[in-house]
Amino acid sequence: MTARAVRAGISQWLEHAVLLVAFGALVYYVTRAVPEVQGRLWTIAAIGLLLLAGTLTSELTAPLGLPHLTGYLFAGIACGPHGLRLLTEQTVRSLSPANTLALSLIALAGGAELELAAVRKWARGLAWAMLVQTALVLLAVTGAFLAVRPLIPFARVLAPGAALGVALCWGALAVTRSPSATLAILSQTRANGPLATFTLAFVMVSDVVVVVLVATVLGVARPLIDSSTSFAFDSFVSLGHELFGSVALGTTLGLVIAAYLRLVNRQMLVVLLVLGFGVSTVLDYLQFDALLTFMVAGLVVRNLSQQGHKFIHHIEQTGTVVYVVFFAIAGADLDIPLLRNLWPVALLLAAARAVTSWVGARVASHVAADPPVLRTWAWSGLVSQAGLTIGLTLVVAREFPSIGPPFRALAIATVAINEMIGPILFKLALDRGGETSQERTTGLPSIRPPAPG
Amino acid sequence: MNTVALLVGLLVLSYLGSFWITRRTAGGVGLPSGVEYAALGLVLGPQALDLVAAKDLTAFEPVVQVAVGWLAFGTGLDFGFAAERRVSPSRVALASLGAIATGGAVATATWLVIGCLHMDVTRSERLLLAGGIAAACSQTTRHAVGWVAEHLRTQGGLADTLDDLAHSDVLFPLLAVAFLFALGGTRATVVRIPWLDGPLVTTGLGVGLGAGAALLLRSEMPVEDTWAMLFGPALLVIGIAARLGLSTLTASFFMGLALSRLSRHGPELRAMVSPTERPVLLPALLLAGARLDFGSTGSWPWIAAAAIGARVAATILVGWVIAAGSRSARAGGPLVGLSLMSSGALSMCIGMAFALRFPGTVGDTVLVVTVLSATVGEFVGPARLRRSLLLAGEIDYTAARASPMPKTVRA
Repeated sequence: MTARAVRAGISQWLEHAVLLVAFGALVYYVTRAVPEVQGRLWTIAAIGLLLLAGTLTSELTAPLGLPHLTGYLFAGIACGPHGLRLLTEQTVRSLSPANTLALSLIALAGGAELELAAVRKWARGLAWAMLVQTALVLLAVTGAFLAVRPLIPFARVLAPGAALGVALCWGALAVTRSPSATLAILSQTRANGPLATFTLAFVMVSDVVVVVLVATVLGVARPLIDSSTSFAFDSFVSLGHELFGSVALGTTLGLVIAAYLRLVNRQMLVVLLVLGFGVSTVLDYLQFDALLTFMVAGLVVRNLSQQGHKFIHHIEQTGTVVYVVFFAIAGADLDIPLLRNLWPVALLLAAARAVTSWVGARVASHVAADPPVLRTWAWSGLVSQAGLTIGLTLVVAREFPSIGPPFRALAIATVAINEMIGPILFKLALDRGGETSQERTTGLPSIRPPAPG
Repeated sequence: MNTVALLVGLLVLSYLGSFWITRRTAGGVGLPSGVEYAALGLVLGPQALDLVAAKDLTAFEPVVQVAVGWLAFGTGLDFGFAAERRVSPSRVALASLGAIATGGAVATATWLVIGCLHMDVTRSERLLLAGGIAAACSQTTRHAVGWVAEHLRTQGGLADTLDDLAHSDVLFPLLAVAFLFALGGTRATVVRIPWLDGPLVTTGLGVGLGAGAALLLRSEMPVEDTWAMLFGPALLVIGIAARLGLSTLTASFFMGLALSRLSRHGPELRAMVSPTERPVLLPALLLAGARLDFGSTGSWPWIAAAAIGARVAATILVGWVIAAGSRSARAGGPLVGLSLMSSGALSMCIGMAFALRFPGTVGDTVLVVTVLSATVGEFVGPARLRRSLLLAGEIDYTAARASPMPKTVRA
């Protein structure tokens, strides 16, 4: 890099820093000058603020080698109710429709990125990894939870049987990964290679495994935590209904999208918005798994039609905006005071999970005879946790109200740590594994600066 | 109607609107101002079928504010450019003077009629009513002339002059809105900004955020990031202006204007934003129509008649002034000014902004009169434009007769 380019880079960095401070100062002044008004319009401004702050912070942290996602999270934390209070708790809550939309688009993108031919190539490794990771993480993290039980106020007072039940729930949650974080990193780095393909396939498939696992563990834990109940098979009926329904609806949706792309192929942005809001509402009503449905839809478009590349192109156009909004909201939603209180235990549990994931990856890679890059780095993409875990935490908390709130608080604190560390690890692994694209993401010719002269 | 169902319905409408942008040049559907969507909204709204209930309208207020702000932002980006041709400063001045004259006439007529009717409004409300209607009725839709010119394959001085004027007459109405918003102390206004400073703060906010966005867009970036850099400041300016009780329209317009002038990517940005206008406009118009309340005051027919009458008279006079300085305009006949009668998206947005900011007699009356004025403009403007261009010899008689009446232009 020439000295001129370095100077230009520094100058641009400073410019972005000044602009970030200026925008922040403006919003800070406005929120202090007009503290009472918390209307719905401020929700709109909040999206604008998070978009700006997230994009700028990611640019500012990029020289440190941090993924953009981390910048979005930092921006959210800084703007949120536990930072500069530019957004209140109420505003962050009111952003949930934007979150729903973002999640649906992320799941669609996830499915569309999965090429079955490539997945088949890694099928043996994936199968072993899924088996080892699921079993090992479930057992080891359950054990870790029981080991640190004396440090957890709400678990300390539980009877041994109940403590085992809660620990099992914790172990099941530890098996969850973050499709959104994985996709955000892959979208930023445009990584291509065994590690990228393997991680994406693993994380997306693990969504299905986790849904089944959590339902099973809840069934087992119920009589342990509440002795008045017994193991109920009914929950598996509704689980089957949920999974079958989600896959069926996802397949139908995928076929409809493929037909639309083939016959019309226009205004996909509006179509995606309709899908995001409309179908999410229907799924909520039917109690189907939105992530699974949209993922299957993307998978069908990519693998059962000729429209996959067109679809990916359309989805990628929404990429930056969707990821910034999703992760900046996640950052704003992070309960920093809670993390401050619970960080020693949360850190212990997060570390136990990460170490177990590492051991599991080594074992599975060895058994499946994976290539060196997977043996070394396959674990790195499995550390992130985000919205999916928090969503399942809510399910556990609802199921066991007596331990619900403190359980959820500890889970959120642990997810916060994984959410911040996981993406950094995964990006580092992609960089080290040589899978990160060397090209800057392609810009439209129209927005490039005019040629000199 | 369920809120999500309404949202999906609006998105579907938006989807259809996006199609009509591209089909427009091939034959065209719809009207310049989109009043037919306002009419559809009226039918679906609480005044008729009640499929869109009053509570839904409240729930969708932010959507409308954003739509209105985004359209103003697009107008700002496009201000002073007619099909990428920069409009000369003298024509911008002429267009602004025309808008001031038309707005002044409409305001005076409305003010007098309100006095004659002994309406039960305060002096401040009377000023807001007269000013709001004047602001909404003093501009011409940007693409009216361009579409007719394209449709009838015209070329000549008159078409260019009218096109330039239609692209540069929004400054006065939007500044007027900023003044009027600063005047009214309503539910949202917590910070008291003196009314003279109001427009200054509003324009400063828009220009500041526009300059910031221009700086951000200096570097080469993927188009997805460009959208983030456009949406971010645009949504922020709308939210901040609303929170301070300022005009979101004016602030967004000045943001677009500053961005257009300060960014070297102006043409590309205009090309990016322009296709989004129609999809955004149609849902906003439908909700505007649903908000129409003809029962808020019994005096609206008289006010509408006075305002529209004054507008017709003023545009004829403005036409004479234009003709005095332009030979090609003189060739368009004595009623050439009526070619500028088509009011468009921005007028409807001003009406809607008033309805949101001053709910009740003031807001409802301004919106009703705006819709009626736009409807009259539909009948008068395009027909007169075609006639003037024929008189000026800028379209082929045979071609013009063969082609259908130019009822459609881009809003």
